[in-house]
Amino acid sequence: MSDLVVPALIQFLLFVLIAPLITGVVRTMKARLQIRRGPAVWQPYRDLLKLLRKGMVIPDTASWLFSATPYVVFLTAAMVALMIPMVVTVAPLSLFGGVLAVVYLLALGRFFMALGGLDAGTPFGGLGSSREMTISAIAEPAMMLAIFTVAVSANSTNLTEMAQFAVSQNWRFLAPSQILAFGALFIVLIAETGRIPVDNPATHLELTMIHEAMILEYSGPYLALIEWGASLKQLVLMTLLVNTFFPFGLSRDWTALGVTIGMGFYLLKVLLLCCFIVLVETTNAKMRLFRVPELLAVAFILGALALISTFFF
Amino acid sequence: MHFYQDPQFGNRMLTLMAAFVLVLQIAMVGQRWLITNIRIFGAQSFLLAGIANTIAYFNHAPHLYIAAFLTLALKAVLLPLLLERMVKKIDIGQEIAPLINVPLSLLVSGGLTTVGYAVAESFHRPEEATSPASLGHNTLAVAISLFLIGFYMMISRRKAFMQVLALLCLENGLFLAAISLTYGMPLIVELGIFFDLLVAVMVLGILVYRIQETFDSMDVSRLSRLRG
Repeated sequence: MSDLVVPALIQFLLFVLIAPLITGVVRTMKARLQIRRGPAVWQPYRDLLKLLRKGMVIPDTASWLFSATPYVVFLTAAMVALMIPMVVTVAPLSLFGGVLAVVYLLALGRFFMALGGLDAGTPFGGLGSSREMTISAIAEPAMMLAIFTVAVSANSTNLTEMAQFAVSQNWRFLAPSQILAFGALFIVLIAETGRIPVDNPATHLELTMIHEAMILEYSGPYLALIEWGASLKQLVLMTLLVNTFFPFGLSRDWTALGVTIGMGFYLLKVLLLCCFIVLVETTNAKMRLFRVPELLAVAFILGALALISTFFF
Repeated sequence: MHFYQDPQFGNRMLTLMAAFVLVLQIAMVGQRWLITNIRIFGAQSFLLAGIANTIAYFNHAPHLYIAAFLTLALKAVLLPLLLERMVKKIDIGQEIAPLINVPLSLLVSGGLTTVGYAVAESFHRPEEATSPASLGHNTLAVAISLFLIGFYMMISRRKAFMQVLALLCLENGLFLAAISLTYGMPLIVELGIFFDLLVAVMVLGILVYRIQETFDSMDVSRLSRLRG
């Protein structure tokens, strides 16, 4: 029993505690690249603490959905965090269908987020929800195709088996199908975490915001939960990306040494991915909303091609 | 044996670069800006030169180095510069105005790539997998896809300028097919093709300029209209 609970607990704590830091690191790096000083990397922690201590304003029109949403958003992200390999190839929790469960748990969180946005009864919430759904309707199949590419070559949809297969093959990430799938998943990551070509995480301008529009009515601890859940989801997607395509340094079992080394490699990989995201964010302008489906169509085609090329060659 | 002498490694690098060439081609279909399209073409030609170099190195075919160098000098540097100057000179609108909208075009090019892979599959002989001739059989599929997508771009774009660019992409596909199947054509043919291409682009450039002068637009669909 304990060898099941302890890894789960360690991984949960690692994910939940590191997630705001990664958000902070991305913000700081972006600021530095734009020659601003920017907030300290632990600013997200301060924000969360501040929000948790504050009171809440709940709209009169809101139903129970409004209060349920923050918990669902946070818990689905946390559950997915337990289902993917982080520093060890063995994920602490494995549900039906492995990677399918991951995709649909994320979809559940997003669905509730959209409902929460609609439930508050303000036009902005509805606007944000409708945009989020438009984007995710294309981003989701692209993500599925990209992940299936990896699953097909590993012959399993179980993330633990996929990670173990990836570790056993040294230079697999140079295969064209892997590159195509990586490209697709990277675009999906940008879209799902609301980064710049798709959505601007720092804006509150009505015309452009997507994620911010949905959570406009949330305040206090609920807002903290949602923000925390969002950064958790971001870290989860980043982990999925780096660990399926670049499985260097993944430990094979839960030993102290293995976990320490794995942790070092993991942080390095995630930081490199952060640099890449920051570069993309700084060198691109935000797209017009009606252009976003074009970008996601590119991701979809890349994913489809990746799958095709695994079958043909 | 060092890894840089291992044909397996060469094969990996080839497939990798071919995949990038394909990605760039699809990016070109998904792009709306003329200048970006030209730059993507330049990058694609650069990768093509890389492929030619790799094949030359691993198959000991020294004349391919010359073809690679010509590709680099002509298609990756000279032609993009020429085209960019032309865009700035004619001062045409930056948007490419496709006949078919971008997401659908992307789906079509995805389908065309599948066709390319299906066709190339019939050329693949697994029993010869160890012979050097199989080096980069994946590139043939990419070459055919490039060819088909080039054709598609030519018929789905309204601006005469994009059709010039589509022709160049098509030629890139042909070059890739030639070097991946036969280690390139004889050098004299290769030189002829490059010269041909340069002249073609210049002539087309003048033609595009004339279209712009006469019709005040680059829209080729206006060419079918009779003017007395």
